Amino acid sequence: MENLFVQLLVIGIKILVILGVVFGLGAYLTWVERKVAAHIQRRPGPMVVGWHGLLQPLADGLKLITKEDIFPRAGNRFLYNLALVLALVPAVLTFAVVPFGPEFEVFGVKVKPILTDLNVGLLLVFALGSMAVYAIALAGWASNSKYALIGSMRKAGIIVSYEAVITFAVMGPVILAGTLSTYEIVQQQINHKLWYIWLQPIAFVVYMFAMLAETGRVPFDIQEAEAELVTGFTVEYGGIKFGIFPLVEWYVEVLSLSAIAVVLFLGGWSPINIPFLGFVDPLFFLGPLSPFVWFVLKVALLFLFVLWLHWTLPRYRIDQITETAWKVMLPLTFVNLMLTAILAPIVWR
Amino acid sequence: MMQWIAFLFFASMTLLSALGVVLLSNIIYVILSLLSTLVMVAGIFFVAGAELVGALQLLIYAVAIAVFYVLVLTAVPWEKALKKDSHYRVEGVLTFPILLAFYLEIILVFLLGVSVSPKGQIREFIQNLGSTQVVGSILFSKYFFAFELVSLVLLVGMIGAVLIGRKEDKTYEDSTS
Repeated sequence: MENLFVQLLVIGIKILVILGVVFGLGAYLTWVERKVAAHIQRRPGPMVVGWHGLLQPLADGLKLITKEDIFPRAGNRFLYNLALVLALVPAVLTFAVVPFGPEFEVFGVKVKPILTDLNVGLLLVFALGSMAVYAIALAGWASNSKYALIGSMRKAGIIVSYEAVITFAVMGPVILAGTLSTYEIVQQQINHKLWYIWLQPIAFVVYMFAMLAETGRVPFDIQEAEAELVTGFTVEYGGIKFGIFPLVEWYVEVLSLSAIAVVLFLGGWSPINIPFLGFVDPLFFLGPLSPFVWFVLKVALLFLFVLWLHWTLPRYRIDQITETAWKVMLPLTFVNLMLTAILAPIVWR
Repeated sequence: MMQWIAFLFFASMTLLSALGVVLLSNIIYVILSLLSTLVMVAGIFFVAGAELVGALQLLIYAVAIAVFYVLVLTAVPWEKALKKDSHYRVEGVLTFPILLAFYLEIILVFLLGVSVSPKGQIREFIQNLGSTQVVGSILFSKYFFAFELVSLVLLVGMIGAVLIGRKEDKTYEDSTS
C-alpha cells in the first residue's frame, strides 16, 4: 500500500515538473525570442519592463488575459473553443515520453526522469504531433473567415506531407538502436559509444527541415504569412486565446521536437562524444547533475538554431514547401534507410 | 481493478462516440465523434497491453485516415454542413440484419479461436517477447506470403492513385469546345 502511495507521489511530482517546465519556459521563451531577434537586427529589444525586459512575458500575459474576448459572427463557438484544447493537449502530452536524464535514487526510491517509458514511445510522439492538424483545421473552419480557412488549409497540407517525412527520417536511428522506447534509444547510444548523428547526418538534416515545417517556423511559416493572410488561422482569436496558438506552435512544439531530436541524434543526456571511443565530459565537476545540464544545453542549442533561422531567412511559397517534402525529403529518407541497412552491422557488433 | 475502470471508461466512451457518429446532424460533429471513437479504441488497446497496436491505431486511423475527412469537410460552408434529411434511411434499415449477422459471425469466430488454443500458447509467446518484436516476427515468418501480397495490393493502389491524379494532356473541356 505504501509502495503504491510512493509511486503515485513520484508520478504526481513528475507531472507537476513537466507542466511547470513547459508553461513557465514556454512563456519565458517569448522573451528569449524577442531578445535574440532584436540582437540579430542590431536593436536592444524589450528593455522597459524589468531589468532588460525580464518581466515582459508577465506584462504580455496580463494584457492578453484582460483583453475582451471577441467571437466572430456566424462562427461555431463549441468548435472554436475545442480547437484550443486540441492544440494544447497533444503538444503537452508529447513530453510524457521525453527522457530528461538517467535513472537516479532519491530517499531510496528509484526514479526515471521520464513520465512513462512506453515500449513504443516514439510512435506516440508522432501520433500526438500529427493531432495538431485537427486543431488547426477546426480553428480555421470554426472562425468562419477566409483568411483563417486558407491559413489552416495551408498548414494542414504542410503537416500531412512532413509527418510522412519525419516518420521515415527517424527510422534510421530506430534501426540502429533496435527499439522504439525513447529511454532505451539513449541508453543504446551510450552503450554503442556513438551519437547517431555521426552515422545519420542525412536523417538529421531531413528531421530539422520537417521540424521547422511542422512548427510553422521560417522558412516554412506560410500558414501565418502576415503580408497576405494577416496571421492565418488565428486571425479571429482574441486575447489569451490568440496567445495560446503561437505558444503551442512556436514554443511547446519546438521544445518537444528539439528534445526528441536530442534523444534520437545527439545522445540524450550523454556528454560530448568521440565516435566509437567514448565520452568526454567537461562538466564533470557538476557530479550527478551533469547529465541533466547536458540535456538542457543541447535542447537550448537546437532552439537557438531555430530562432537564428527564423530571423534571417525569407519564406518559401506553399507549392515549393510541399514539393520539397514529397520530391526531395521523402526520397532522401529512403536513401538514408538503405545506407542505414548497410551501416547497421558496424554499430551492432 | 484499475485496469477494469480504465477499460470501462474507454469502452463506454467508444460506444457513446459511435452513437454520436450515427445520430448527430452536423457532419463536423460526426467526424469529431468518429475521431473520438478511434482514439478511444486506441485507449482500449493500451489498457489491454498491446502498445504497438494502440500506437499504430492512433498513428494510422486517428491521424492519417481521419485527417482527410476533416480536410474535405472543413472546405464545406457551415450552413451546407447540416445533415437535415438522409437519403439512405431505407438502405440503413435493410443493412441492420446483415450487420447483426456479421457480428454473430465475429463472436462465433472468436469463440472458435479460444477453443482451438485453450492453453494460451499465444499469450505465452507474447509475454516472452516485446510486442513490437512479436508482430514483426509473426509477420515475417508465418504470414510472410500474406504480408507481401498485401504490400503488392497497396502498390497497385498507389499506382492507380497516381494514374487518376495525374494531369491530363487533353481535358474533356478541350475536346467538347
